[in-house]
Amino acid sequence: MSGRYDDPADGQDMKPKIRISKGVATLLLVAFLVATSGAFAALKVRTDKIVRRKVPGSSIIYLPSGKFLKYATFGYSALAADLIYLWSIQYYSTPTIDDRFDHLAHIFSIIAELDPRYVDPYEVGALIAIQEAHDPEAAFKILDLGLEKNPDQWVFPFDAGHIALMQLKDYPLAEKYFKICMAIPGAPDFVQRLYANAIYKKGDLKTSWDTWLQIYKTAPDERTKKIAENHLYNVKATIDTGMLKEALRAYRDRTGRFPDSLGRLVQAGLLKDIPKDLDGKDYVYDPGTGNVTTVISPWKR
Amino acid sequence: MADAVRIENLRKSFRLGFIPKTREILKDISFAVKEGEIFGYLGPNGAGKTTTIKCLLGLIHPDAGEISILGQPHFSYHARERLGFLPENPYFYDYLTGSEFLAFYADLFGLGRVEKAARIAGLLKLVGMERAAGLQLRKYSRGMLQRIGLAQALINDPRLVILDEPLGGMDPLGRKEIRDIIVRFRQEGKTVLFTSHILQDIEMICDHVAIIVGGRVVRQGALQDLVSEKVLFTEMTVAGLPPEAFHGLGENVSVQGDKVLLKVYEEGRVEAILSLVHDRRGRLVSLSPRTETLEDIFVETVSKQ
Amino acid sequence: MRKIAAIAGITFKEAKRDRVLYLLFFFAAVCIVAARVLAILTVGDRVKIIKDVGLASISVFGILMAVLIGTSLVYKEIDKKTIFTLLSKPLHRAQFILGKFLGLVLTLFIMTLFMSVIFLALVYAHTFRIEWPMLVAIGYIFLEMVLVTAVAVFFSTFSTPILSSIFSLSFVLIGHLSWGLELLIRKMRAGFGKSLARVLYVFLPDLENFNFKTEVVHGLPIPSSIFLYSFLYGLCYTAFILGLAVLVFRRRDFI
Repeated sequence: MSGRYDDPADGQDMKPKIRISKGVATLLLVAFLVATSGAFAALKVRTDKIVRRKVPGSSIIYLPSGKFLKYATFGYSALAADLIYLWSIQYYSTPTIDDRFDHLAHIFSIIAELDPRYVDPYEVGALIAIQEAHDPEAAFKILDLGLEKNPDQWVFPFDAGHIALMQLKDYPLAEKYFKICMAIPGAPDFVQRLYANAIYKKGDLKTSWDTWLQIYKTAPDERTKKIAENHLYNVKATIDTGMLKEALRAYRDRTGRFPDSLGRLVQAGLLKDIPKDLDGKDYVYDPGTGNVTTVISPWKR
Repeated sequence: MADAVRIENLRKSFRLGFIPKTREILKDISFAVKEGEIFGYLGPNGAGKTTTIKCLLGLIHPDAGEISILGQPHFSYHARERLGFLPENPYFYDYLTGSEFLAFYADLFGLGRVEKAARIAGLLKLVGMERAAGLQLRKYSRGMLQRIGLAQALINDPRLVILDEPLGGMDPLGRKEIRDIIVRFRQEGKTVLFTSHILQDIEMICDHVAIIVGGRVVRQGALQDLVSEKVLFTEMTVAGLPPEAFHGLGENVSVQGDKVLLKVYEEGRVEAILSLVHDRRGRLVSLSPRTETLEDIFVETVSKQ
Repeated sequence: MRKIAAIAGITFKEAKRDRVLYLLFFFAAVCIVAARVLAILTVGDRVKIIKDVGLASISVFGILMAVLIGTSLVYKEIDKKTIFTLLSKPLHRAQFILGKFLGLVLTLFIMTLFMSVIFLALVYAHTFRIEWPMLVAIGYIFLEMVLVTAVAVFFSTFSTPILSSIFSLSFVLIGHLSWGLELLIRKMRAGFGKSLARVLYVFLPDLENFNFKTEVVHGLPIPSSIFLYSFLYGLCYTAFILGLAVLVFRRRDFI
């Protein structure tokens, strides 16, 4: 054997100088992992505390149009609609973004463009517009868009009518919407009643009476009939008491005081006869205040 | 002198498949390779040859057993720095040139610039790849890859060279060259451990062999001890005599024209046939005694398992 | 450490041959230039669109490069068995992982450099100024890429390129939705679930820490403390992931 490989380490069962057994090395590695993970966790907590400035004026920098996005999302427009909708809910519930309502209608129109048949965003968008942004115009824009894209969905004109009725007290507008709503097949019965009520609130008592009469005649069940009847009673009472009050005012102008009974009005020639309520009962007159009321509340009949 | 390689009670099982099924590949491997010898590790396909080598090299973690290389734990730097390895069907970074490839491995051993250049030049000459050194490895043929792979195994002038099927897929000329190189290693004092299927090559150059079957070393020893000089039978080809003449003396293997090929099992019968041929004026065409070869041993050993 | 450098060297040589790299770079360049076209369609400040699209392109394509190249590189070594000759040398498996990682980082650095040059040139053409704050944003984008590279290398030590890519991209997605988890936690009722979510929140990656795109484009002031903390965060998380990769890789048998 050549002496080429005479190695001082030869033949000895020598342990290498730095003997790190496999087990110890693994332990060191695990310790390293624990240390680094602890470090980055702590750093994360620290960076969370640092406040990063949000962009003022527009936290959304670009608003592409819905049509553009529809092409850009490659046929996944429904999914994109869902994602944007979910994002928008978070976005609108973040109170620190001051200007978040600036593009409310636009954003929801994007969602509408991407998935026109998705009903929830229209409703929620309108809700946000009314409740949070106090921007009824935006709400109507959204709901009109919903109706335009989904002429078969009665919810949209319903919601719009509801807003007009309750928030804006814009009865002609409410009437308009409820009328549209009624025409959509599948709209619930009570919409008709809301419609009639809007007309009543608007002040067009004659049409209101006609409408309630219609409802009364076509009522599908006893309950609806009763409701309609109550409303008819109410309308008649309003007409009648209105008429009576006017006559009473004329009487007072003439004589300087209210008459002691309604019959006096007929005697004075201000009225042809004293109307009775729908049940055939007399109206209650208080000579002291000149007030005329029904003997019973229309809703408690 | 320490054993170059000592493996004791090596065991390894694998859990394979989607529903893990444990397969025991190495059941109990023990053998030793002395320094300065050429050691052949043979066995049928799937016996565990390559798995043993990979355990030796630290590519696979054994379940049990002790492995030492040159007296050191097999995974120590000391051991790794003194060994060279050529895997079966080598594949290398095909975008590097031959020289760049060797330079990379030289860097892994921390060779200095001057030493690196000298070593690379020397190795390229040894494996006959000087002209192709500037070519990208992707353009190499199988034989060329084998050679450059061998050069890579020697980049650190190792004491122990481990080769997994070094002669596979080479033409006869290539095989002779590699055999010669391996023998030269022994002359230089290197130890060589290699696995092979090609038993003739092992017979030609090995000092010791171990046969592994089904995850166990079933036979090992010096080649000359395993393969006896005993004559198994003698093959004789005789012309000019009819086959019936040899009835009782030898087994007729084949007849071609007037030539008869015989297998003669006893020495005495050989003499008898020779006399017969002489008497009857026949002609002896050839006579060759067949001794036990490694192949016979191998087949016998494997079929016994 | 010469060994790590040697491995980093061949990794770089191999990575820069990958055609996917140049394809992604091409797309990034196209996007940056396309910003110029988009700018024409806007009313108002054009440069903002260019800056925004440019930074977004560098970010998106850079991350894609990190994921696609990173997941294939280690896998290729294992699959093509070049790793056998490598790991039988006196080399710690950790050195192998680090070498691969650094080689990749170098490749990505060069790619980011090229993309940045195109981007800054375009911005310069509009503002006639070299906008240094852009480099801050790009720097942290690169840090994010480094972390994603570590993640890609980690997954590719034990998984196929496709799965590794999916996992790595999921990591990026989760990293950018950390704020969503925070919102969720705020709305949860106190209890075990909330505590668990809080722990998850702290340990899941928050890649928004590296996102200065908005501030830089709008010229908003950035609190100086966040630079240091974000950088350290990136460093620690990357170290953690690499540590995990080494842990997994050490025990691996190469059949």
